[in-house]
Amino acid sequence: MGSLDIQAKKNSEKAERLRTNSALGKRRRWNMNKPLLIMFLPIAIFFILFKYVPMFGFVIAFKDYNFADGILGSPWVGFENYKYLFQNPDTLGIIRNTLVLSALTVFVGFPFPVILAILLNEVRRSWFKRWAQTLLYLPHFLNWVIVGGLVLMLFSIETGFVNTMLERLTGSTYPFLFKESSWITIFVASGIWKTAGWSAIIYLAALTSIDPSLYEAAGMDGAGKWKQILHITLPGLMPTIILMFILNIGNVMDVGFDQVYVLQNPVVVNVAEVISTWNFKVGLGSGQFSYATAMGLFESLIGLTLVLVVNGIARRSGRGLW
Amino acid sequence: MKSTSGEKVFYGVNYFILVLAALSCLLPIVHILALSLSGNEAITLGKVSLWPQDFTWTAYSKLIEDTNIVGAFRNSVVITLVGTGLNMAFTILAAYPLSRKHFYARRFLTLAIVFTMLFTAGLIPNYLLAKSLGLVGNYGALWLPGLVSVYNLLVLRSFFENIPEELEDAARIDGSGEWRIILQIVLPLSIPVIATIALFYGVAHWNSFFNVLIYINDPERFNLSVLVQNMIQSQSLMSELAMLDPDAFRKLAPESIRSAGIIVMILPMLLVYPFLQKYFVKGMLIGSVKG
Repeated sequence: MGSLDIQAKKNSEKAERLRTNSALGKRRRWNMNKPLLIMFLPIAIFFILFKYVPMFGFVIAFKDYNFADGILGSPWVGFENYKYLFQNPDTLGIIRNTLVLSALTVFVGFPFPVILAILLNEVRRSWFKRWAQTLLYLPHFLNWVIVGGLVLMLFSIETGFVNTMLERLTGSTYPFLFKESSWITIFVASGIWKTAGWSAIIYLAALTSIDPSLYEAAGMDGAGKWKQILHITLPGLMPTIILMFILNIGNVMDVGFDQVYVLQNPVVVNVAEVISTWNFKVGLGSGQFSYATAMGLFESLIGLTLVLVVNGIARRSGRGLW
Repeated sequence: MKSTSGEKVFYGVNYFILVLAALSCLLPIVHILALSLSGNEAITLGKVSLWPQDFTWTAYSKLIEDTNIVGAFRNSVVITLVGTGLNMAFTILAAYPLSRKHFYARRFLTLAIVFTMLFTAGLIPNYLLAKSLGLVGNYGALWLPGLVSVYNLLVLRSFFENIPEELEDAARIDGSGEWRIILQIVLPLSIPVIATIALFYGVAHWNSFFNVLIYINDPERFNLSVLVQNMIQSQSLMSELAMLDPDAFRKLAPESIRSAGIIVMILPMLLVYPFLQKYFVKGMLIGSVKG
């Protein structure tokens, strides 16, 4: 975009302002706004009712909620619910599990889409690239019930494919889903399997904007493929990598419910219970709404803080989201 | 340009890794398909890998006769079609005013909406709201709380913003109102992005699991996700099925019937997949240009 364009845009904005500031302009603007306001009214109602009103429901984090008295009538208890949550080893364990599983997902999973994008970008045969992409994107469209089903069946002890192979090779089976360390590995790996291909799209798009003459010049100077990737491709991807990193960090408190719920079992519950599944069981299952809400508010606040902090840091280096 | 031996090694390794990665996405599904079509003995002996052994359709016929899979399939279709229709109507209604430069408080409203993406009320307050509105137990709870996705709204808004205003000005001078401008100018120009967003919503509804789990209690109204999940997790459901028809279940492994459930859920997705992929990639890119 040239500076001429920007200049023209500025001028038209100025003209628009002048027009809207005059009395006639004001009237005209009101007339133009009327249908838009009518259009937007149901949307405003939707966001207020379904997004903002529930935020007031957070007050029951500071109350001893019971059905009979409702949200407003239940007695205040101050920070009692939080005292319970932060002194109870079980709930502390759940917060720890949430952080561990999501940090592993973010940090271990992060390089995979970048690597896939770089590899795909180096493919010369377009039919191969098309097929590889089609297959790599596929898991994104399967929900966790399906992916979880695949995992549970592949790793089951009696008839799972992995264990039958293992038995043939070594003569014994291994309870992959019932040992804590292998469960965590499977959890992280299944997340990578489902999302890596799809997340590569963003990086592939970023790669198309790298100037091809850079590679030519590097080739002339005798840089091999590996050096070119290290010194041209990766620096070219850096802004996108940072951007995606910010977005992922913001989700650190939010280990998806579905993934944990379909993969967990009672044996590994010590590492596999996270905030979202605990909220579901304690809140909706046993009706302890106040504890679950207190935990939910804690989760939301940490998530919001993380996004703001990481974005603040990124903005200092000129790469913030807003 | 001739490639050097170093480059040959590089390309060889590159293709090898990509083939492995792509196969890792495909083979588990082929394995499940093979399981769903194999006999009990072959499965118990671990003979099934990528090709069905002792080929049989029993898993599918049992699934249709003895479980509510047909009903669940119908429910999934209803949830998806109605849900996507509502989503589209309201997302367009939200995106159009927010894309108009002369709309009052456009910036404030956009910020207020984006904030709901960063800070959410959490499970219990949302559940209590749905309960007090009488939505628990019916599909309203699946459709209304997620009526407008902020992400899709932002994608559509930035697309509308890029439609040249001259077109609308011309229509306005000819006496068209805003509604006619939307229907006859804006929407026809936005068909690709609208298809993309509709697919985003559609896939989300087809795959919805958590909301059905918490809001729908009547097994008759479960969608495929919840029904298949129950089949995978619950041993008792399987033994119940086996009691109904012990003879058939001597020849049929529980793995087959679970696999068949998974395949029934994947199949419609695979049929529209070429479509999905094309539009989704586009949508992902529109969204990433302007967050």
